[in-house]
Amino acid sequence: MATLLMHAIEQGLAYGIAALGVFLTYRILQFPDLTVDGSFVTGAAVASILILNGGDPFLALAAAFAAGAAAGLVTGFLNARLGVANLLAGVLTMIMLYSINLRIMGRPNLSLLRASTATQIVDGAWTGLGPLAVLAFIALVTLAVKLATDFFLRTEIGFALRASGDSEAMVGAYGVDVRTAKMVGLALSNGLVALSGALVAQYSGFADIGMGIGTIVTGLAAVILGGSLIRTRRVGWMTTAVLVGSLLYRIAVALALRYGYVVGFQASDLKLITAVLVLVALVIPAVRERQLRKVSSC
Amino acid sequence: MKRILSAVLVVCLLGGIGLGLAAAPIKIGICKIVEHPALDAVEQGVIDALTAAGYVQGVDVEYLLASAQGDPGTAVTIAQNYQTRGVSLVVAIATPTAQAAVQVFRGTATPIIYAAVTDPVGAGLVLSATDPSRNGNVTGVSDMIPVASHLQLLRDLGAAIRKVGMVYNPGEANSVILTTLAQEAAPGLGLEIVTAPADSTANVPMAAQSLIGRVDAYYVTTDNAVVSAIDSVLAASEEAGVPFLVADPTSLAHATMSAGFDYYQHGLLVGDVVLRVLAGARPDTLPVTYQARAEVQLNLDQAARIGLAFPQAVIDAASAVYFGGATWERKSE
Repeated sequence: MATLLMHAIEQGLAYGIAALGVFLTYRILQFPDLTVDGSFVTGAAVASILILNGGDPFLALAAAFAAGAAAGLVTGFLNARLGVANLLAGVLTMIMLYSINLRIMGRPNLSLLRASTATQIVDGAWTGLGPLAVLAFIALVTLAVKLATDFFLRTEIGFALRASGDSEAMVGAYGVDVRTAKMVGLALSNGLVALSGALVAQYSGFADIGMGIGTIVTGLAAVILGGSLIRTRRVGWMTTAVLVGSLLYRIAVALALRYGYVVGFQASDLKLITAVLVLVALVIPAVRERQLRKVSSC
Repeated sequence: MKRILSAVLVVCLLGGIGLGLAAAPIKIGICKIVEHPALDAVEQGVIDALTAAGYVQGVDVEYLLASAQGDPGTAVTIAQNYQTRGVSLVVAIATPTAQAAVQVFRGTATPIIYAAVTDPVGAGLVLSATDPSRNGNVTGVSDMIPVASHLQLLRDLGAAIRKVGMVYNPGEANSVILTTLAQEAAPGLGLEIVTAPADSTANVPMAAQSLIGRVDAYYVTTDNAVVSAIDSVLAASEEAGVPFLVADPTSLAHATMSAGFDYYQHGLLVGDVVLRVLAGARPDTLPVTYQARAEVQLNLDQAARIGLAFPQAVIDAASAVYFGGATWERKSE
């Protein structure tokens, strides 16, 4: 059980970076961005190709971020400059990325099993931590990303970004162009999603063209789940909530796999059980709150 | 009295040991990437092969069946779950599932048997297809199909066939390899391959229609997205009035002819490898297994619809025909 929990936390944190990206667009910018299903794979593809060509696996994470940011800029350009509706702008970039990702990879599946990836290097180097080395590395990367996101949201442009999500008229007050704010937000968001894809690819030992499907769905699940458990308006706590949501989601998947069979579920029921577990985590705090209110009103 | 007591005690002890043995069946994890008729058939083939060899389900062996439901990330979680539950052996069906299992079980002695992987070396699962000595705890069965002999089959239909249209999904590793192999083999056979990509099942009809009037025959390999929409390829081939060869015998009713093996047979072959490993053979002594036999099946109903008469040599070589809405197997003499 402990090992399973450890792995669930590893994945929860690695995918949590993508959830932070979704948080930036969905919560901060109020922009439902579907680019992420493509940019997740872009990150995995760029990092994998670099690693397979002898590149440094840690720098590959940075390169993945840059590639994802470029994808986000395209969506931003389509929406802010060409006036394409936000959902459609994201969808169009996502579709384009499918072909581009195949171009980057050269084939639909790249194996990193025989390559020297960041997780393998860490596993071999941080022997003092034993099986926790990979977890520690992913936690460090995620923490760094979270703190950087917090810092960014407290800068002037970060404030403008938050304001543009609330009311576009407000942004003018900060002396920042709404369109610029949107583009910066989308670039940052997709950069994080791509970074997450690069991390997940190295952790899983392969990049696959199908690995990005559902990034927006799991990202939203994490954002909404975390947001309902930790209600706050403080930036640092909001990003923490997103990571907590992502952790809970992955733990739900692990639990569904580990104990689903005990209650007679079949392999094909996995997504159903996962969704129900997430729903339970979502509903319990709401119900408890209602009960508390009832008690206090008596 | 004492003697009776000790006899009872011995019987109890023996019975206890017997129960102890019976209560601990070996655990085998079987994971597939997605629910799909071919992959389901592989899973069933593996289980049936083991059952036929005397491994009774629930007594000698316990199967942990899982599906990643199309998500490569979930494949990793499934492999980790297998590890914590202490499986003795993993059967991983399809490329991403096998890669996830190899990554998770790295450095352990647990054998990984992959199935339905076209190019295990290209997928990084094993270092060599022929020399298993450095392949560690990994071995398995490739579902590589003899693309060149399939193209030859189309060639045998008559001189009129020059251009062969292939609908394929550029996002499926197996399909891309087979399409590339076809493109490499075609010139030598006096053929030309015209491709039409379809990145999802929904886009197959349009891709198939785009080839009408541009090709003399259709050829579809073991492409999951395309086989799921096979009737739209059949409709296009009928509209074009050209034969359609599919590399999947279970789809014979939906094509002019089919060649290759069915995935249940593939699963049985995987089951054989599993049995050898359970009997003590180390994976690093077992090279990649390839499915050897490629049989040809003809759909006479469909041939009549497009006005095609199969040459006698092709009919003589067929293992089965589909006629009057039913499949007729050739009796072995």
